[in-house]
Amino acid sequence: MMRWILLLLVCATAPASAAEDCFTSDTAGSGVTFRVMQAGAPYTGNFRRFSGVVCFSQGRLTRIDASLDPASVDTGLPELDAALKESDFFDVRKFPRVTFVSTAVQSQGAAHTTRGTLEIKGNRREVEIVLHTRPAGGKTAISGSFTLDRLQYNIGTGDWSNTKWLGAEVKLDISAILTRGK
Amino acid sequence: MSRFLNSEESYGIIAQVLHWGVAALIFVQLPLGLYAANLPVSLARLRWLSYHKSLGLTILVLVLLRLVWRWIDAPPPLPGTLARRERCAARAMHRALYLVPVLATLAGWLYASAAGLSVNWFGVLLIPDLIAKNTELAPLFKVLHHVLVGLLALLLIGHIGAAARHALVLRDNVMQRILPAGWLEKK
Repeated sequence: MMRWILLLLVCATAPASAAEDCFTSDTAGSGVTFRVMQAGAPYTGNFRRFSGVVCFSQGRLTRIDASLDPASVDTGLPELDAALKESDFFDVRKFPRVTFVSTAVQSQGAAHTTRGTLEIKGNRREVEIVLHTRPAGGKTAISGSFTLDRLQYNIGTGDWSNTKWLGAEVKLDISAILTRGK
Repeated sequence: MSRFLNSEESYGIIAQVLHWGVAALIFVQLPLGLYAANLPVSLARLRWLSYHKSLGLTILVLVLLRLVWRWIDAPPPLPGTLARRERCAARAMHRALYLVPVLATLAGWLYASAAGLSVNWFGVLLIPDLIAKNTELAPLFKVLHHVLVGLLALLLIGHIGAAARHALVLRDNVMQRILPAGWLEKK
């Protein structure tokens, strides 16, 4: 009896996973950019190290599992990069990973409304990101942007929580070239 | 009305107000910049540097306005009692006192632009960048800004020293020309 149940379970799940086509992000052509207001003017920086697995099944996005190394923050100003790694901001020694794991995806053509759990500095929140896929030189490019409230993730505590001088809204632009992986 | 315009003997009220206005702002601006630049990365530094940039742009506009006004309303001539050499030195010094603050401000603006730290003038007007973000050029503009500000500080010492010489040593009423009528008149 137990065998039958196991067999049924295997049969029920196997076809779905077998048809799933997974990709990893290619470093070349991929990027994560953030925009935030400083002293009333827009400011832009990047994260250099990130990775992710994106899976599709019959053209529909099925799951995403992505992570980013906040210590790879690159504003072009070394002093600022150092400050962003400290406890007021990303506290990279304690929280070396920013992660996003999808929980549900609705695909409509090339637009994929992805709900998932974003974890930054130990704070987990459900977010929704609309991702777009397009062909890019034989590969697939995926991109999307979304806005978060940095205070909900304790990014910029103490004096830095003053949103007049450092905006609360942070816009993230994500784009990646996908290559076939595990 | 004539008191507002320059005469043969004295600067008019308009030129005087512009002169002392810019002087006061520069004497706030120099210590403000020096203080803010030496703070560690913090909200206080962001705030004070933001005020420094806004004030710098204000000074730039006022200095340009002074140049325009100088062109419209010619300044009083230097007295004939001064040697030719001294008149040349005064002219060169005055030119530098217009040129160097303009260049120092432009270098600061270029530095802010290259660093990607655009300026919002006192939180009411977003100022365009002079160049796109370029973090390789940023340190060069920073050095240039510091050198020009250092030069400006030297020029100010020379200017104040020369003014004091006219007032206290030569007693030739040259310094009194920039003061409101009746102040420190030679008896």
